Amino acid sequence: MVRTFGELLERYERELFAYALRLSADRDEADDLYQDTFLAAFRAWPPPRSGNERAWLYRIATNKAIDRSRRTRPRVKLEDIELAAPERDSATTLDVARAVELLPPGQRAAFVLRQVQGLPYAEIAETLGCSEVAARARVSEATKVVRRRIA
Amino acid sequence: MTLDTLIAEARSRLLARARREGLADVGYAVVESPLGPLWIAVGPRGVAMISYGGAPNAADLGRLVRTYGPGIVPDARRTAAVARELDQYFSGRRRSFDVAFDLSGLTPFQQGVLRATARVRYGDLATYRTVAQRAGNADAARAAGAAVGANPIPIVVPCHRVVASDGSLGGYAGGLDAKRRLLAIERGDDVPTGGWLRSGDP
Repeated sequence: MVRTFGELLERYERELFAYALRLSADRDEADDLYQDTFLAAFRAWPPPRSGNERAWLYRIATNKAIDRSRRTRPRVKLEDIELAAPERDSATTLDVARAVELLPPGQRAAFVLRQVQGLPYAEIAETLGCSEVAARARVSEATKVVRRRIA
Repeated sequence: MTLDTLIAEARSRLLARARREGLADVGYAVVESPLGPLWIAVGPRGVAMISYGGAPNAADLGRLVRTYGPGIVPDARRTAAVARELDQYFSGRRRSFDVAFDLSGLTPFQQGVLRATARVRYGDLATYRTVAQRAGNADAARAAGAAVGANPIPIVVPCHRVVASDGSLGGYAGGLDAKRRLLAIERGDDVPTGGWLRSGDP
């Protein structure tokens, strides 16, 4: 049984930090996510069910990562990205979100417009101010990068 | 930079935030000593617990949680002062402790007995009966013995200086060898060389 925040940290901080790294663009973001997760747990203590601290921490971390992703990238809706996710058991919504986040802005826009928003290439071309051929090429390139990153 | 380093830095920032919010009232660390690892906890009113064996005594930890809540966190900075004084004590360079100690959560009788214990001077011995008298209850030698035996802050509250009326050592949480060793240090005939103490987060 976990009775103190120290025990909570000593048991779970390592795997939660590793999880935060996977959900984040870089170490600083992971550091923030780790801190926010445990601080939220300290504030909300005790967990809803005793003995279930681990799942509780993971849920807090996941919700915070999604909140952050919505806050900082309002154009990318997570539930939409989930629809756009390739049919792979091992790729999570957040893996896709992270791969998208790492795209350069032009590629990101092309990917989101096509794979998330589902716009026709004519409209994508108009939005990006390029030819339809160029729009197809950008979407294709961005999608390849995302697939490669989550593979 | 290793994962452990990243985590250690993140933890130290987390604990600073938790302290500012009043979510981390007690800091603990394990320090090495000539009597083996000691688990030390320091709360807002001073040293709250010293446990032989490097892990908290379950009953005392329960009392700490009842008194201060769950905000008991690894924090070697909080324990640094008492660790330094213990180092000096073990190497024969300190005869009394300057750090405050905290008996919150114990009964008034237990607190009285332990305060009387804390007044037994370096190198002196007292009996359980004497300590009971000084705590204001001369008839309670047996209860005083129990209170001394449950001392949550050994060494700093020097329960090793309390012995049975027949001159036998009585008991000791750290084992009778530890009690003999502490009394020998205070007689000046068993002083370990200094500089052995290492301190760190568990």
